[in-house]
Amino acid sequence: MDPLSSIGKVAASGMRAQGERLKVVAENVANAGSTGTRPGADPYQRKTLAFEEMVDRNSGASMVRISELGRDRAPFGREYDPAHPAADAEGYVKTANVNPLLEMSNMREASRSYEANLNMFEAGRQMRSQILDLLR
Amino acid sequence: MKLNSMSFFQVASQRMQWVSAGQQVVAENIANADTPGFKARDISPFSELVDGARRGGVRTTHSAHITGGGHAGGPRVTTDEVAWETSISGNSVVLEQQTLRSSELSGNHQLATLLYGKGHQLLTLAVVGQR
Repeated sequence: MDPLSSIGKVAASGMRAQGERLKVVAENVANAGSTGTRPGADPYQRKTLAFEEMVDRNSGASMVRISELGRDRAPFGREYDPAHPAADAEGYVKTANVNPLLEMSNMREASRSYEANLNMFEAGRQMRSQILDLLR
Repeated sequence: MKLNSMSFFQVASQRMQWVSAGQQVVAENIANADTPGFKARDISPFSELVDGARRGGVRTTHSAHITGGGHAGGPRVTTDEVAWETSISGNSVVLEQQTLRSSELSGNHQLATLLYGKGHQLLTLAVVGQR
């Protein structure tokens, strides 16, 4: 398959993967304050994802895909709040293991990588239009 | 009249093919910029492709023949030996380096297409006497 059309596909797979990563970050940030509802219940557990190389059978181009969506096994935080519905016998509430700083840097990196893929897409498009200009 | 048999057009279109293949490799690198363990890739130099074509490479005259070491079958893709750095996860794609490479290839592609067009114009000039 000709490289110029593969470039678009490869870049699109990259953008999709980074978009998925951004979605996970958004979920984590949105649920940073989510706690359990019953006494002693676990709060929101941070989501993680991993990328993996995937070789496209049609074009032989190596693309990227999400290999696994997992949960962060880092310990939960503890906060003293006896009035909370999820407070245990000692009055402590488990809080989500989301680190806002980590999520922010993750978000930045995802959007920058997305941009890099978009630029590749644009470069491929330009090369195609240069070829088409030969027909004029 | 076969445009491809003239060495000028042949080299220009070969160059465009090589640049497109290079751009695809860069696109693959960038898409896998966050894949753990992914090693950045690079394409064999253009001179190798031209030399291979000039020597003729190994011709396959039967469907059961296998192609030789890549000279005849277009540019080779190899692991990038000059990657600037490797991250903790074993990924050696540096976005800056790839961007640099991509813009270089884009320039080369433009040059090749313009040269191809110019060669065509010269042919037209020779045949018609006016542009």
